[in-house]
Amino acid sequence: MRLTVNGEEKRLPHVKNVAELVAHYKLEDKLVVVEIDGDVVDRSEWQSMELQEGMSIELVHFVGGG
Amino acid sequence: MMNDDFVIADVKLKSRLFLGTGRFANPTVQNEAIAASGTEVLTFAIRRVNLQEPNEDGILQHLDLDRFRFLPNTSGAKTAEEAVRIARLARASGISNWIKVEICANDKTLLPDPVETLKATEQLVKEGFVALPYTSDDPILCKHLEEAGAAAVMPGASPIGTGLGVLNPYNLSLIVEEANVPVIVDAGIGSAKDVVEAMELGVDGVLLNTAVAEAKDPAKMAKAMKLAVEAGRYSYLAGRIEKRRYAKASSSTTGYLSK
Repeated sequence: MRLTVNGEEKRLPHVKNVAELVAHYKLEDKLVVVEIDGDVVDRSEWQSMELQEGMSIELVHFVGGG
Repeated sequence: MMNDDFVIADVKLKSRLFLGTGRFANPTVQNEAIAASGTEVLTFAIRRVNLQEPNEDGILQHLDLDRFRFLPNTSGAKTAEEAVRIARLARASGISNWIKVEICANDKTLLPDPVETLKATEQLVKEGFVALPYTSDDPILCKHLEEAGAAAVMPGASPIGTGLGVLNPYNLSLIVEEANVPVIVDAGIGSAKDVVEAMELGVDGVLLNTAVAEAKDPAKMAKAMKLAVEAGRYSYLAGRIEKRRYAKASSSTTGYLSK
């Protein structure tokens, strides 16, 4: 699977859905939010949301800020 | 303090100090400062996870989530559209539907873009967010933001991170006079003196970050800010004396021992 994750081109052959992508980066226990092609994907949909070739995915989290 | 509730979007807050979480040396220093500040509202930013180090600490791992309200910001956005996108991501975390609208189009001053800030606020209110826009200290713009449904308006004292303090007390006092929503001075605070000055103008609260995070002793400065917010609020409510050009004796002017 060829994906763009956080702006970087990635080849992730074993990743089929959002939950697996999140697990690939070991982020499943963290407060991360997923966006695909500009739309937020709720945590409840991570398992059912299948990834497609060429999708642009953002994995974001909270950092310090004022 | 009797009948002096500080309410934002039906939430009653005990502390009038909002604290940012950027630029602290480490989580221990940050938590000491948060505790000393007495704040109930913490601000954050949203950024990409670093895929090379996905396990590096997220800011929230070191905090007791039940004790605070979270006010994520839209920093990094240069347009209303980008701010709305960041706000949706922040809300999807499930920790808050409050959003600090922050749209800076000039990298040198980080001053808020008034047109985009108003557009974003209108949109976010439509989408059910509790929107608290960081804005220029312009009374007319603050009125427009209020009319757009902002839960509070947050004019800057001076540019972010400068510590220049309150540059335009006249404008801030006009904003206070006109506003029907809470006014929170956001950005530019350098020390406790600036906080007292802002609070004495009648603003409802203060949001600051760098002044505490980069103080030599952040926890001590956080305590100073807490006391300054309270001192300034009491002073405002008490009503200060008129300024006089010449002295006025504080004791009786009769009964002097010598003539």
